[in-house]
Amino acid sequence: MEQNAIYELLAGALGDGALGFTENPLEPWAAVETAKVAEACRFLRDDPRLDFDQLMCLSGIDWDGFDEAGKGKSVSILGYSDDGQPEKSDRVATGDLGVAYHLYSHALRHKFTLRVRVTRESATVPTISGLWSTAAWHEREAWDLLGLKFAGHPDPRRMLMEEDWVGHPLRKDYVMPDLWNGVPLQGQPYCANPFPVESGGPDKPAGDKPAEG
Amino acid sequence: MANEPTMVNGRGWGDQDHVPGIKSELLELNMGPQHPATHGVLRLLLHTDGEIVYKVTPVLGYLHRCAEKIAEGVNYKQWVVYTDRFDYLAPMCCNHAYVTAVEKLMGQAVPERAEHIRVATSELSRIASHLIALATFGLDMGAWTPLLYCFREREEILNLLERISGGRMLYNYMIPGGVRYDVPNDNWVADVLDFVDLMEHNKLPEYNTLLSYNKIFIERTADVGIIDAKTALDYGCTGPVLRGSGVDFDCRRDDPYSVYHKFDWQVQIGHGEKGTVGDCWDRYIVRAREIEQSCRIIRQALQTLPDGPYQALALKAIVKVPAGAAYTRVESSKGELGHYIISDGGQTAFRNKVRSPSFCNLQVVEKVGVGQMVSDLVALVGSLDIVLGEIDR
Amino acid sequence: MSREITPPPAGYDAGREQMLDFKVDEQLLQVVETDAKNFILTTVDEMFNWARLSSIWPVTFGLACCAIEMMATSATRYDIDRFGAGAFRATPRQADLMIVSGTVTAKMATRLKLIYDQMPEPKWVIAMGSCAIGGGPYFKYGYHVVKGVDFIVPVDVYVPGCPPRPEVLLDGLMRLQDKIRGRKGRFIAPKWVTDYAKLIPYRK
Repeated sequence: MEQNAIYELLAGALGDGALGFTENPLEPWAAVETAKVAEACRFLRDDPRLDFDQLMCLSGIDWDGFDEAGKGKSVSILGYSDDGQPEKSDRVATGDLGVAYHLYSHALRHKFTLRVRVTRESATVPTISGLWSTAAWHEREAWDLLGLKFAGHPDPRRMLMEEDWVGHPLRKDYVMPDLWNGVPLQGQPYCANPFPVESGGPDKPAGDKPAEG
Repeated sequence: MANEPTMVNGRGWGDQDHVPGIKSELLELNMGPQHPATHGVLRLLLHTDGEIVYKVTPVLGYLHRCAEKIAEGVNYKQWVVYTDRFDYLAPMCCNHAYVTAVEKLMGQAVPERAEHIRVATSELSRIASHLIALATFGLDMGAWTPLLYCFREREEILNLLERISGGRMLYNYMIPGGVRYDVPNDNWVADVLDFVDLMEHNKLPEYNTLLSYNKIFIERTADVGIIDAKTALDYGCTGPVLRGSGVDFDCRRDDPYSVYHKFDWQVQIGHGEKGTVGDCWDRYIVRAREIEQSCRIIRQALQTLPDGPYQALALKAIVKVPAGAAYTRVESSKGELGHYIISDGGQTAFRNKVRSPSFCNLQVVEKVGVGQMVSDLVALVGSLDIVLGEIDR
Repeated sequence: MSREITPPPAGYDAGREQMLDFKVDEQLLQVVETDAKNFILTTVDEMFNWARLSSIWPVTFGLACCAIEMMATSATRYDIDRFGAGAFRATPRQADLMIVSGTVTAKMATRLKLIYDQMPEPKWVIAMGSCAIGGGPYFKYGYHVVKGVDFIVPVDVYVPGCPPRPEVLLDGLMRLQDKIRGRKGRFIAPKWVTDYAKLIPYRK
C-alpha cells in the first residue's frame, strides 16, 4: 500500500492526533502527536489492512540547529583537541528532540515512517515496547545516548554506558569527558615528535644523550 | 526484560527442592565480559537455580566506540572506515550498506561494473563471516577441528580481498559512487571463480561431514533454543536467525538493492529437519547453505562482469549530500543492516543511526534463554552469531 | 614532500642479532664436554626465563576486530603454537600474557584492570592495534574510548596496525621473548627505517 493511503487510514483512526504527512521522494513520513504515538503504533500493527509486524528501527534525534523542514545548519560537535583534552564550549543546544519509527510489514511488503517531536525540557515519549519487544532495547539506547525518557518502559536503564555516566553523548552540545570513575579518557598529545630534531633522529633519542643547547 | 525473576515450569527460583526441606539459593552468575563463549565482550548476567537459567540479562556497551557520534564529526567518505569496524567479520557488507544509503540520499547512480564488484566482494565477505560463524559455533559445542578447517578457507578469501582492496581484514573499499580500485588484472576473476568452485563442490561437503551431520553436534543443537516465527518477528530478528525460524524473507530478494535482482539464487530457510523449526541446528544449517548460494551469486556476478568505469565520482571528489533523510537497509551477513541518515546539506551527517542486526537478534535471548540449561544457552548465543562491534557500535 | 624510501643496505639481512644491541655473556652459558655426559652451566634465572619464554600462555582476551586477527594467528595458517604461545587460557589465573586485542572502552577498562590483577606474576602485556596503543581512529570523538591501554596497565610490547597482520603479532611475540630472555637490548632500527622516519612530517 502507498504511504499516503496508509496515512489516510491512520488519520481516520487517530483523529486530530495525526499532525500531517510530508511527501518526499526519498522517504515520506507522517507526524503524529507525541502522546498518541503508542495508539498510532497499535493501530498500525493490529489493523489487518496494514499489518506492520516488524519495527525496523527506532531512532532518537536531536534537532539542534537543523529543522525537519530542511532549514538551518547544524553546529559542529565538540571532540578532543590535538593535545588530547576535551574541547569546551558554552553553547547550549536548542530545538526539540525527536523520535523516528520505521515500520515494515512482511505480509504486505510495505513500509511506513512515523516521527514525533518533544521539547528538550520534557523529553518524554510513550513507550511502544509492549507492541514490539524489539523496541525495548532501541528505547533504552535512545535514553542512553539522547536522554529521551520513555514513559512506561519496563526497564528504563542505560543501554551502553554505565549507570553513573554523566550526560547523553549524542546531544549536540555534549562535552567530552576527561575522567570517568577513575578511568582517564583524555588522550596524550598525538602529534608530538618522538624523535626531536635536535637529538639527531631515532638512533640517538633525546633520553640517552641530551641535546646540546 | 522484567525486573522480577521469571517463573519456569510453575516454579520460581529457590523452589528446587532436591533435598526436601532444604531450599537451594538463586545464583547470580556473570558470563563475560571476558569469556570464550560470548564471542567478544558480551556480558550475560544469569540468574540460575542449579543448572536451569531463570533470567538472562545481557549487559552491553563494553565495546561502545561512539561510531554514531563520530558520524556527526567526520565527513561521509571518512566514515566508511568506521563501518568496516562494525561487523569486522564481514566489512564489505557494512561498506555496501553505508554507501548504498549515502547514494540514495545523493541520488547518485553507480556504474554497473562497480555494482557487480560490490556484490562479488560482499558475498565473499559473507562467506568469510559465515565460516567464522560455523567455526565458533563448533568451538562452543566442543568441536575444535572445524575452526582450523574454516580458517583455512577464510585465509583464502582474505587473500582474494586483499588483492582487490589492499587490506587484509578491514578494507575501506567502497566509496559513494563506486569502488576504490578496479579489479586487478592479475587473473583475479579467474582465481575467485576457482575458489568458489572449490568451496561449493569440495569444502562444503567436507564441513557437512565434519560438523553439520555429526551425531554429537545434532544432539547438542537440535531442539535447543527454539525461536518461533512470531517471537522472531516480535523481537525484530533478521537474517539467518529469522530464516532459521522459517520466515522466508531476505532483503536481497524482497527489498532489492544493488544488482541482486539480476542473479538466480534461492533464499534458504529452516525446515526443522533434525528437530523443531527455529532451533539452533536450523540457524546453523541456514548459514551453511547460504555459503552455497553466495557462491552462486559470485559466479554469476563475475561471469557477467561488464566493462566500463568503476567510479562515478572522482576519487578525491568531496561528497555533497543534499538535505534530507532516508532509511536504507541491506542484508549483511548477520541480517538487516539499516542506516538512517539525516543530512543537513553539509559535509557531515546530521544524524546517522545504525540499526545493527546483531543488536536486535541478541535481544531474543532474554525470552528464549529462560528455562534453558546454561550449556544450552551457550548454544543459543553461538547460533545467533553476534558481533559485538556491531551491537555496541 | 618526497616520500622516497631508501632501500635497505646490503648488509641488512645478516640476521636479527645485528638489530639488537644485547651482549651475550658467554660465561653464563658454557658447554663442557667430558667423556661421559654433557654439562650445561647456566644460572637459575636464565633457565627459568628460557622456560617462560618457550611456553607463554596468553589469556583469551578478545576485545574487538584485532581479536579476529589474534584468532587467525592461532589458527591454521599462522599457528602461534610454533612459538609456544598457543595455549590460550580462558582464565587469567593460568596465564602469563595478556594480548589487549582491540579498543579498550571506559566500561571495559575497569574489567581489564581486574583481569590483569588476577594474573600471577610474572606477567606481560602486548598492546595490539592502534586502539590499544593510543585510541586509534576513535581519538577525536571517542568519548567512551580509553586513549591507550597504557593508561590502565603497563605495556611491554606495542604491535601497530589496524588491525595488525598476524605476522606482526608474531613479531611482537618474538620481541616479548627477547625481553623475557633478559636481553634488554633496545631495538635499533636499520638505517632505512630511520631515514624513512625522518621524512614523516610532524606538526608543531
